[in-house]
Amino acid sequence: MKNVFLGKNVIVQGITGTHGRFQTRAMLAAGTTIVAGVTPGKANEVVEGVPVFDSIASATIFHTIDISVIFVPAPFAKAALLEAIHANIPLIICITENIPIHDMLVVKRALETSSSQLLGPNSPGALLPGLHKLGIIPASLSLPGKTAIVSRSGTLTYETMAGLTAKSIGQKYVIGIGGDTIHGIGYIDCLKLFQEDKDVDRIILIGEIGGKEEIDAANYVSSSVTKPVFAYIAGHHAPAGIQLGHAGAILNSDNESAGAKTDYLASQGIITATSITELIHTFSAD
Amino acid sequence: MNLLEHEAKSLLSISGIAVPKGVLVRNDSTPPFLPLVLKSQVPVGGRGKAGAIKIASSESEYIQAVSDIMSLPVKGHTPDLLLAEELLSIERELYLSILVDRSSQLIQVVAHNNGGVEVEDNSHFNLWSIENTSDVDHIGQALADYYDIPEKTFLLQDIVEQLYKCFIENDATLIEINPLILTSEGFLVAGDAKITLDQAAAFRHDWNFSQPETNNNFVTIDTHGMVATVANGAGLAMATVDAVYDFGMKPANFLDIGGGATAETLIIAFNQIAAYADVKAIVINIFAGITRADEVARAIITASNSISHLPPLFIRIAGTNKVEAAAMLKEASFTLYEDLESCLIAAKEVVV
Repeated sequence: MKNVFLGKNVIVQGITGTHGRFQTRAMLAAGTTIVAGVTPGKANEVVEGVPVFDSIASATIFHTIDISVIFVPAPFAKAALLEAIHANIPLIICITENIPIHDMLVVKRALETSSSQLLGPNSPGALLPGLHKLGIIPASLSLPGKTAIVSRSGTLTYETMAGLTAKSIGQKYVIGIGGDTIHGIGYIDCLKLFQEDKDVDRIILIGEIGGKEEIDAANYVSSSVTKPVFAYIAGHHAPAGIQLGHAGAILNSDNESAGAKTDYLASQGIITATSITELIHTFSAD
Repeated sequence: MNLLEHEAKSLLSISGIAVPKGVLVRNDSTPPFLPLVLKSQVPVGGRGKAGAIKIASSESEYIQAVSDIMSLPVKGHTPDLLLAEELLSIERELYLSILVDRSSQLIQVVAHNNGGVEVEDNSHFNLWSIENTSDVDHIGQALADYYDIPEKTFLLQDIVEQLYKCFIENDATLIEINPLILTSEGFLVAGDAKITLDQAAAFRHDWNFSQPETNNNFVTIDTHGMVATVANGAGLAMATVDAVYDFGMKPANFLDIGGGATAETLIIAFNQIAAYADVKAIVINIFAGITRADEVARAIITASNSISHLPPLFIRIAGTNKVEAAAMLKEASFTLYEDLESCLIAAKEVVV
């Protein structure tokens, strides 16, 4: 499979909004090639030197598009996602949060008949330090290198990355898969990418309470990943049955707890920690 | 957002699913009809065990039951209303629900032969996934086979279609009919119902339900905790709580102030924190991505000035516009810590 994260030409859907505008500037500063912005009704505007089009279709007349980063507000996000999916943009990164779950179910169905891959929604995006920034992960706290990070959380991803940078450990990939129940690219897709990329030497997986994706990821690690994997599962002191912040983080049964997941990950050969500070210490001492 | 039983039944009824004849009562001295069953309208399960569901056959039993249930808290919730329903002659009690399954990322219809089961307690459920709307067409037959009531095939097909329609049109993430009652007259009636709606879809509905929006962002962990926490993002907020504990201190709460931290949000949060008797330090851990650190710093300064007797703040702010944030906080005489570790080490000095 082609590594979609290395695609060059990027468009920003929702470029004329507050976040779209601010993050376009930050992405350009981090070396991202943004060839166009898309906001219906805003054709011929220019944002941070980037030309704006009414639709992806009109942008594709002038450019081949490899990646779209979406900042479109939740009520319109489904339409924006479907537009990108129907255009078969290889990698679609959806930063928007609070998209209704039934809208995402429709989006998931549409992905099945498209060659597009989706990262998110409710994702901070991906940062490949020294290459490009695809989303909102702060590039100033990264350092080019060989570690690959995959996480369900946004800000906890930054914390992990900044912790490594402070210890002069660089990163090749920093990827946030997003915290929603229904989402695109998952841990296993990222682990496969990291295993196949010769530039990656070690992997960090950040998980949370709720669901069983970390368990599936651990099974994949034991069967298919030869590189060292370090992990921290957030929420060791979470009360049961209460949703903590975003939709995905709810502890419904004992085997979804941080403790149970940590134990399972350890049993599959993953090096685990019970806090983020411990994870950084263990990783930098390794 | 979890609906009360009567609200859930009203949505089911609009979609065409049969529910028992019922009226809402409060303190009425005359029963609407007799005999009847009185059910506490609270947004939690376990009402039967708590004694919050009672049958009344006479006016005196009715008056006593209303007074008992109205004052009976169930898991901390006291009802504003009771649902008075007709008694059904029960032949069988079944379980039927529709939900968004996290693992398969599909809509699933879930059935069990014993109504009253708790989903968490039992794994012997039968499941049918709905990938396309046309999949719904076959589920009535499958349910009739599974429940072993072949004569109810057409009725079950109607119910499943109505359930699916109700689920989609209301942006629900769960509709549970438990029990689905087969009456001795041969009807299928929703004995109890639970509906969870997707709060993210509120913008396209005219919802007017009694439940306040649940605040998932502030959760008490230990009322005797010594360290209160404030962070942005659920993962970072959980990680901050974990780190407090790993540093040998008892965390009091989880708080995710999200992306748009305003002074108002923080004032509410600080007031909640100030109510904990044992909190000696507040650890604030902000990592700005889409949030701007300077906006959070401004909110912290405004909020802390508006509340007296606030325990000391231990602040770590990183990310977008951190330099501006640091300057503002220094100006307001706050100490800033470079990372979470140094922040926690400093907090520990005042806690232990």
